[in-house]
Amino acid sequence: MEKFTMLIGGIQGEGVVSTGISLMKALSRKGYYTLCERKFSSRIKGGNTHIIITVSEEEVTCVESTYHVIMAMDQESIDLNFHQLRQDGILFYDQELQVSENLSGNKKVIPLPITETAKDQGKSFMKNTSVIGFLGKMTGFAYDELEEIIKNAYGKKGQETLTQNLAVLKVAYNNDSFDSTMAPSFQHKKGKAKMMMMGNEAIALGAVMAGCRFMAGYPITPASDIMENLALYFPQIGGKTVQTEDEVAAIAMTVGASHAGARSMTATSGPGMTLMGEGLGLAGMIETPIVVVDAQRAGPSTGMPTKTEQSDLSFLYYAGHGEYSSIILSPSTVTECYEMTVEAFNLADQYQCPVIILTDLNLSLSPQTIDAIPFENPPIQRGLFASETFLSSYKDGGFPRYKITENGLSERALPGIPGGQHQVTGLEHNELGRPSDNPDNRKKMMKKRMLKTEPLKNRNEIIVEDQLNGKTLFMAYGSVYGVLKEASKRSESDVDIARIRQIKPLPVDQIKKLMAQYDSIVVVEENFNGQLAQIIRQETDRTSDIVSLTRYDGNNFTIEEILDEMERWCK
Amino acid sequence: MEMMDYGNGLNPTWCKGCGHFSVLRSLQTAAARMNIPREMLAVVSGIGCSGRISGYMNAYSFHSVHGRSLPVAQGIKLANPELTVVAAGGDGDGFAIGTSHTVHAIRRNINMTYIVMNNQVYGLTKGHVSPVSHQGFKTKTTPEGAVDMPVDPGLLALGSGVSFYAQGFSAQQDELIELIKKAIEHPGFSLVQVFSPCVTYNKVNTYQWFREHLKSVEDIRNTDSSDYIGAVELLKETKGLCTGVIFQNKEKKCYEELHQETKESNLVKETPQISEELFQQLTKKFSL
Repeated sequence: MEKFTMLIGGIQGEGVVSTGISLMKALSRKGYYTLCERKFSSRIKGGNTHIIITVSEEEVTCVESTYHVIMAMDQESIDLNFHQLRQDGILFYDQELQVSENLSGNKKVIPLPITETAKDQGKSFMKNTSVIGFLGKMTGFAYDELEEIIKNAYGKKGQETLTQNLAVLKVAYNNDSFDSTMAPSFQHKKGKAKMMMMGNEAIALGAVMAGCRFMAGYPITPASDIMENLALYFPQIGGKTVQTEDEVAAIAMTVGASHAGARSMTATSGPGMTLMGEGLGLAGMIETPIVVVDAQRAGPSTGMPTKTEQSDLSFLYYAGHGEYSSIILSPSTVTECYEMTVEAFNLADQYQCPVIILTDLNLSLSPQTIDAIPFENPPIQRGLFASETFLSSYKDGGFPRYKITENGLSERALPGIPGGQHQVTGLEHNELGRPSDNPDNRKKMMKKRMLKTEPLKNRNEIIVEDQLNGKTLFMAYGSVYGVLKEASKRSESDVDIARIRQIKPLPVDQIKKLMAQYDSIVVVEENFNGQLAQIIRQETDRTSDIVSLTRYDGNNFTIEEILDEMERWCK
Repeated sequence: MEMMDYGNGLNPTWCKGCGHFSVLRSLQTAAARMNIPREMLAVVSGIGCSGRISGYMNAYSFHSVHGRSLPVAQGIKLANPELTVVAAGGDGDGFAIGTSHTVHAIRRNINMTYIVMNNQVYGLTKGHVSPVSHQGFKTKTTPEGAVDMPVDPGLLALGSGVSFYAQGFSAQQDELIELIKKAIEHPGFSLVQVFSPCVTYNKVNTYQWFREHLKSVEDIRNTDSSDYIGAVELLKETKGLCTGVIFQNKEKKCYEELHQETKESNLVKETPQISEELFQQLTKKFSL
């Protein structure tokens, strides 16, 4: 089967998204991979929302921009999306809607009794069950399989609700508006063990497996799920989440908890990140490990809270006043969100500095089928701690928390351990942590803090996919990488693609090697200035070979757009 | 333990006669009387003259950033509930840049203590109006005299639902020591506001001025400290100029009680491994 893409649209608050997710889960159980994109407005009820689902036998890395099927429960879903329907596609719509006669062209337009079935058999708000009946049949499910889905969804909501929903399902399923030629034939089979997950959930799970037991945060789209998930996990495993008064407090509390020795994190998006500049600098100055997630959305200011963008990078690269070391990791897939969160905690502890996990709205919020994350307690590296015996020799104070060492890393002593008493301060300080503005000391301490992450520049954190040895390399991170991957599969050009997993410190040596290998590197990113490209140019002192390809309208690049660019670069 | 055991031998940078010396000594003495092991004491301060207090303690001390002593201190306490955590800062920290943290720390009621060293002026920036300066107070930024109404720390704390609120005076050290001790002993968030005169930039609210204006709560109160309305009236009647335990609600459950914290609530212990069974439980919502 080729990739199959359907859009389900309706009024926000009517369960459009959960309907889509139910179908995705059911298809994933049958061996398919799915990925969805949710389009929603910044309001709770009312307004249009739609979910676009791409289904394939192979891993899906981005949602397609043209659809085989639109299932419209409201007029806006048609108005907004009909032009994206493929020529051979079908628009199904609730027959209650007034659909203009001249809409169709060659495309098939079929009214369905969505509301009517719900109303007749149950209640009008059971429209979602109608939709599952119609779409479930189309995607090859037997009736009893769909019955299971409905039982799982409504089993706990009372016998009457369940009975009515099942009645709705039955009538919808048996509606004869479909025939088998309308959709590709779905060959259900049992595939590898899979999970349905989005980036934020993977980050929360990664944090738990990395031993993070403290999270302070302030709700914000599109990062809140991380706190929500940890708030569910921590009571089961012994950990604490705090919803603070603001992001300034969230990061300060994270710094406090980490200083005390707990692996700690916070998560936010652009507006919160701006406020967290203060805490990042504090953690940088006192060399306290913290992990901060920035799920980027369109800025500046409040921007477009429900739209994706990758425009916080320039700010984060230099975040806060003064200079200090920090690490920016940039996962591109849900699985990487999981793995790199574990890595973030290890790096934070080893290098005693803030680590930022940079995602974007689409990566953070798009549920998708992934190969199941296997159970494994990952290796934990907590960095340098002074031994208790060593500390006991300092019973009257004098433990050198900021001892100057060759690699800039010094041993920590956690509150509660006798002999380790010391001061930490956001003021410049000496080896004992005491305030000092002595110029020699300042130089030593600056070098200690600035150079300690230097070895990370040697990591090969740019992953080039299936090298074709072309002359051009397309590079991206976050959800944009998924689009590159799909485009590259379809492209007949010999353009190579890569994802970058660590932006700060930038893997300069590796990039220089790539520059020697390719005529041009096209950095594909979702912001106005081409921020990643700018950073690469600056860090490598090269301007000519780095080309920027940007989009900043709140939507992901489309596969077609990237394909066109790839063809252009091939000539 | 003696008071001296909690010092680190550094000479404070405060001006001669600064009220903060007394706060430092009082904190050290209270810790000594309570026999708090030095390694179990975390002192977190903000920025300003007052912020320096943590740097003179032999304890795990944390000189944070302006206004943020409370979130940092709460983070430390939540991570390691076995520590005695004291946050300290000035009136700018507590009632200007960090006001919201003060209100929310009170609301959260974590078992810790917050000492506000109130001198009604920004000393370290060399004399600027503070959120608790009286109207008419002349500074470099208010040459015509302050116009804004001062914040009323006591009513702010009571209005936010504080479970322990006391006021002390640097020149009454014996009382201050006992107030800090009671505050630390209180199971929940305790706030001690100390009138701690600035001898350099506040020529109005001087030691002499406080001696003339301050009344002892014990002398004027007709109810006990658990009487909320009585506490409000006391602050109204004295215009806030009184010392002693103004209010204490021993019944109010603190964060630790509400969350049923146990020894296992210490998050600093060695990273526990997640069992396969637990992993399955955590990932159940993702399984198909």
